[in-house]
Amino acid sequence: MIEVLHPGIQSSIQDLGRMGHQSLGVPIGGAMDQNAFNLSNRLLNNPLHSAVLEMGFKGPKLLFHKSTTVALTGADMGARLNGHEIPNFTPVEIKEKDLLEFGNAHRGKRTYMAIAGGIQTPEILNSRSQYKGITSDSKLSKTKLIPFDMVKFDSPKGVRISPRISESEEMMILAYKGPDFNLLSEIAKIKLCQNIFSISNKNSRMAYILEEKLSHQISSIWTGPVIPGTVQCTPNGTLIILMRDAQTTGGYPRILQVTDEGLNLLAQKSTKDCFQFQLSAV
Amino acid sequence: MTNRLPFRFFITHPKVLVLEWDGEPNDTMLQKLIEFKKRIIKEFDDVIQITQGYLSLMLFHKIKVQYIEDYKNRLYFLYGLQSRPAVKKVKVWQIPVCYEETYAPDLKSLASKLNLNTTALIEKHVSARYRVYFIGFLPGFLYLNGLAKELEYSRKEKPLSNVPQGSVAIGGKQTGIYSIDSPGGWHIIGKTPYPFFEPHNKKPCFAQTGDSVQFISIAKSEYLQLEMQRLQGTLKISHL
Repeated sequence: MIEVLHPGIQSSIQDLGRMGHQSLGVPIGGAMDQNAFNLSNRLLNNPLHSAVLEMGFKGPKLLFHKSTTVALTGADMGARLNGHEIPNFTPVEIKEKDLLEFGNAHRGKRTYMAIAGGIQTPEILNSRSQYKGITSDSKLSKTKLIPFDMVKFDSPKGVRISPRISESEEMMILAYKGPDFNLLSEIAKIKLCQNIFSISNKNSRMAYILEEKLSHQISSIWTGPVIPGTVQCTPNGTLIILMRDAQTTGGYPRILQVTDEGLNLLAQKSTKDCFQFQLSAV
Repeated sequence: MTNRLPFRFFITHPKVLVLEWDGEPNDTMLQKLIEFKKRIIKEFDDVIQITQGYLSLMLFHKIKVQYIEDYKNRLYFLYGLQSRPAVKKVKVWQIPVCYEETYAPDLKSLASKLNLNTTALIEKHVSARYRVYFIGFLPGFLYLNGLAKELEYSRKEKPLSNVPQGSVAIGGKQTGIYSIDSPGGWHIIGKTPYPFFEPHNKKPCFAQTGDSVQFISIAKSEYLQLEMQRLQGTLKISHL
């Protein structure tokens, strides 16, 4: 067990989400930055879908009640184990009664902590990803316990770690044309692909609302399915990028579809961060 | 070749296709979409799930979609297949709703906005049969078609930060049931003790796309009884 002494700002248990239940309105969910997620599990030889701790902006304070091994990837939160800084991107041994503290995120916004064998909260609809109304808790909160099993940790062979530190500075977000892209005027298309956009303070695991608007003449559409990465534009030109916890249907025109890789990059950005969309062929 | 497809075809992601139809949603279209969906699932091994909107289907694939022209041909053929003439009976779920004030904070105000008395509003709400066009917005949230024109009213200016699970509401041209606690801007006119999303069940939502729903007005005492049964796990939900 891990005892949560302080939950941090936006910490939740995540795996690869709930693919397969979307026709019931269940969001796909899952880790925001799936590159960092995968890497954290690979460092510990964990199965691909193992649940890890996702920590946004400022990390938690955790007390371990059992020994284990953890691995940190994604943004750097200056993690300290019993007061001593520990490295990211490598397995770290934890002993019973160890205190692990995280600070503010640098070089990115989200950090991932995998635990040997994976976090063992109950699976609901094939996933441990926390979501309001599906799992008993929607995020990490104080005094909660995070269960894990004691498993023998075998150091993986041949996992080459190249923390791509420049990732959080990447300005180009690749996107495919959305179903309604061609309804945009030529001027709007050019603006969409050439202007620099920034993320407003309305950003969450569900969606990022952008600061800059894009005027367009598209009339409303009949509500239809959407997925994480879908970029919608509202009647007044507000752009909304749907993130991992997006709802399954939407009624705004879908002008772009951010690539999986683009979503991972956006996961490491937040309020005021800038980027540009770059069109990509499917 | 491509031009002859009777729907628009978008590759929106390497593993995701969107098919979209023109026109207005109606029951015939709904039936067509449901049948087409079933045929695709049966015939295309790579399709892992299909989600639905008013006039669209989204096809999720195991791997990157390839051989697009061939794919389109197969879809064209499948769509053209005549469905069996036998009319499948539509399930009608009878949903008990308590319209009493405790559970209906907006009933009076909505009635006066619509120039109706509350009894007339309830009467109109329970007299219609609503078709489930698809499920979305929240886990287990049914998009119901069939709200009486006289009951249409625009959403609230300020959405509530938390509408309790089970609330029955009207917003714009739609009526619906909040399947889980959620922020919401619809006018709340009642509450049902029936659960529309139970994540621990094999079938988390008893109603399905294509089913029908009818509301039945119940007294508070009955509501409490059913609520008790739900908590004890003895509640039985049946359909016509």
